[in-house]
Amino acid sequence: MKEGFRQAMAWLHTWTGLIFGWLLFAIFLTGTMSYFKEEITHWSQPEVRSHPLDAAASLGLAQQYLQANAGNAGSWFIRLPNEREAALNVGWREEGSVGRRGFVSRKLDAQSGQAVVARDSRGGDFFYRFHFQLEMPHPWGRWLSTFCAFIMLLGLVTGIITHKKIFKEFFTFRPGKGQRSWLDGHNAIGVLVLPFHLMISYSSLVLFMYMVMPAGIMASYDNSREYFNEVFGQREAPRAAGIPTSLVALPELYAKVRDQVPGARLGWIEVQNPGDLNSRVIMTRASADSVAFKRSDNWTFDGASGEQLSRGKPESTAMLVSFTFAGLHMGNFADSWLRWLYFVFGLAGTAVIGTGLVMWLGKRQLKHAKSDSMPTELRLVEVLNIASMSGLLLGVAAFFWANRLVPVTMEGRADWEVNSFLLVWALSLPHAMLRPGRRAWAEQLALGALAFALLPLLNALTTDHGLVRAIAANDWAMAGFDLTALAVGLFLAWAASRMMRAPKLADKRVSRAVKAPPETLGEPEAN
Amino acid sequence: MLSIAMIGYAGFAALCLAMEKHFNELLKRKATANQSRGLRVVGWGLLMLSLVLAVQHRGWALGLVEWLAVLMAGVTLWVFLLPYRPRLLLALAAVSVVLGPVLAVLAN
Amino acid sequence: MKSKATGPTLSYRLAVTSRSLAALLGGYLLASLGSICISLLAPMQKVDAVLSGMMLSFVFYLLAFIWCFACRSARRAWIGVLLPSLVLGMIDGLAYWMNY
Repeated sequence: MKEGFRQAMAWLHTWTGLIFGWLLFAIFLTGTMSYFKEEITHWSQPEVRSHPLDAAASLGLAQQYLQANAGNAGSWFIRLPNEREAALNVGWREEGSVGRRGFVSRKLDAQSGQAVVARDSRGGDFFYRFHFQLEMPHPWGRWLSTFCAFIMLLGLVTGIITHKKIFKEFFTFRPGKGQRSWLDGHNAIGVLVLPFHLMISYSSLVLFMYMVMPAGIMASYDNSREYFNEVFGQREAPRAAGIPTSLVALPELYAKVRDQVPGARLGWIEVQNPGDLNSRVIMTRASADSVAFKRSDNWTFDGASGEQLSRGKPESTAMLVSFTFAGLHMGNFADSWLRWLYFVFGLAGTAVIGTGLVMWLGKRQLKHAKSDSMPTELRLVEVLNIASMSGLLLGVAAFFWANRLVPVTMEGRADWEVNSFLLVWALSLPHAMLRPGRRAWAEQLALGALAFALLPLLNALTTDHGLVRAIAANDWAMAGFDLTALAVGLFLAWAASRMMRAPKLADKRVSRAVKAPPETLGEPEAN
Repeated sequence: MLSIAMIGYAGFAALCLAMEKHFNELLKRKATANQSRGLRVVGWGLLMLSLVLAVQHRGWALGLVEWLAVLMAGVTLWVFLLPYRPRLLLALAAVSVVLGPVLAVLAN
Repeated sequence: MKSKATGPTLSYRLAVTSRSLAALLGGYLLASLGSICISLLAPMQKVDAVLSGMMLSFVFYLLAFIWCFACRSARRAWIGVLLPSLVLGMIDGLAYWMNY
């Protein structure tokens, strides 16, 4: 702080990065996985079959099912199948229930309209929820992860300030040089993918700004519902009239939507007071249809007469900006190649955090390279590094193994998948404590390599959706999962083998470290 | 989109070569001031061209997003593979600078 | 700022804690008051002003964080976030009072 602005920023970068790095790593990794949320769910629930898409037919099936099974419900919700999600999702709120408690949801087969008997699994939704709720009670997880996003943004800004040669070393990566290479790699991934990093961390704040920064809403609105209604163009559900009236056919309303906007796809459909004179049908356009995530892009119909009551207002500039940040963050609009790039950039963000954590320790270990024992605080960081990175990967693998191995009929099996994830992750901590640093890394990475590389085999043995069959059936979500698992396994095997080998480079570093005090070795940004 | 990716990639390759250090290392000869300046102009020109094509092809919203995505991917590939496969990357840049515009013209 | 072999002194630790609190709480106060200021005074529709205020509040928070660790002492960190907060608070109060 007193040594100058850049040093102060380097200090801030170093310490906020260390304290929040472990959690940020988990948030980024699970968030990156969420770009393939539907694909992961597809792998986790192979019982749900995909069929050629026919939105109108699916709407009709959903209406039939809800009519038969939830005729008295206060409201219905429908999500149509799309290119990425095979199931026709329906849900309803039990009559007279409040809050989440009375909410029932079902996955229907898109062709037969019957409920699919699929294994109970949270699939990709688990990782998606974890990345912003952290399995903590509401709303603490959301607050914490949003604060982590702010720290990421702060880390990016302080990192840019600290990084002296941002343009001079724009294209620089020098491998095989120990700490120097780690720093090069950290800087290069940070700088080259900077637009993504900035977008993803700032947009996380925008997504939850109504929660973390509500002062403006409180000053201008009587309550937050008024604000939401204005932003999302929603109206309160009318009171039920108590006069039974049959609901207009939903496919007809969809045809009206398509008359107005040819090619429009629907995402979320809500029916308020179904079967009543005062029923309302709200159709919201699919978020895949535009970069901005516009919940305001909707149509409201009178459910009894089928007359269109209102159309979502065009968004103002400020709305469009905030919706665009939300849309960019979630990437619903991305087709498959852009989605893969999203995934790669997400991994890049994860890698920036990971390399930062490794460097923090590596630089300080140099001072103690000659002695056998490490100071307690460095050992603590080492253990947490191992458990938060390789341990997390083991946890993820455990989730998928549990998905295939826990009996399909078992009560509460979805919880057991989650428990396996948490349990294995937690177990990686004592393991890292008991084994010396490099050994612990090597063993956990090697186990992770096995666990991921064998997933395709496990899949082929326990289901009839193995890699070969999936490719033959053109089921690229299933095959892509297996191939990605294989690639992750190979990468972890490579990393493990690097860790197994005696650290030759460390010797060189030690000899250099002896000659010069470590502080003068690296640049300030290496802190 | 492939053409835009290729043009953007070639643009970054040119910008990289416009830096004396990288030029000397990669091409094993000294860069003249004119060469450096020329490469810088060509590099920025290619980046702008890819931006124009992306926006024209996909509109502002999606065009900008996709342009940034392929640019980031291209330059990341360039930087991290450069120490290992410099000749391959240079060849790829040479191919891109020719094939990229050709594909763009064919797509229109 | 590097920890010396003997470890940081107590007063140093207290100073860092004080700065952290100034950044965390004082910065939040500043950001909140800043967002209210924009949402009440920006010449646009109410919902747009509120949205803009919230989106920009994180910039205030970021600057407050940077200030709190860049300034020369912990005392200055507090002054640096509380003084602008006070000014913003007065503007906010005035704007709120004129609106209602």
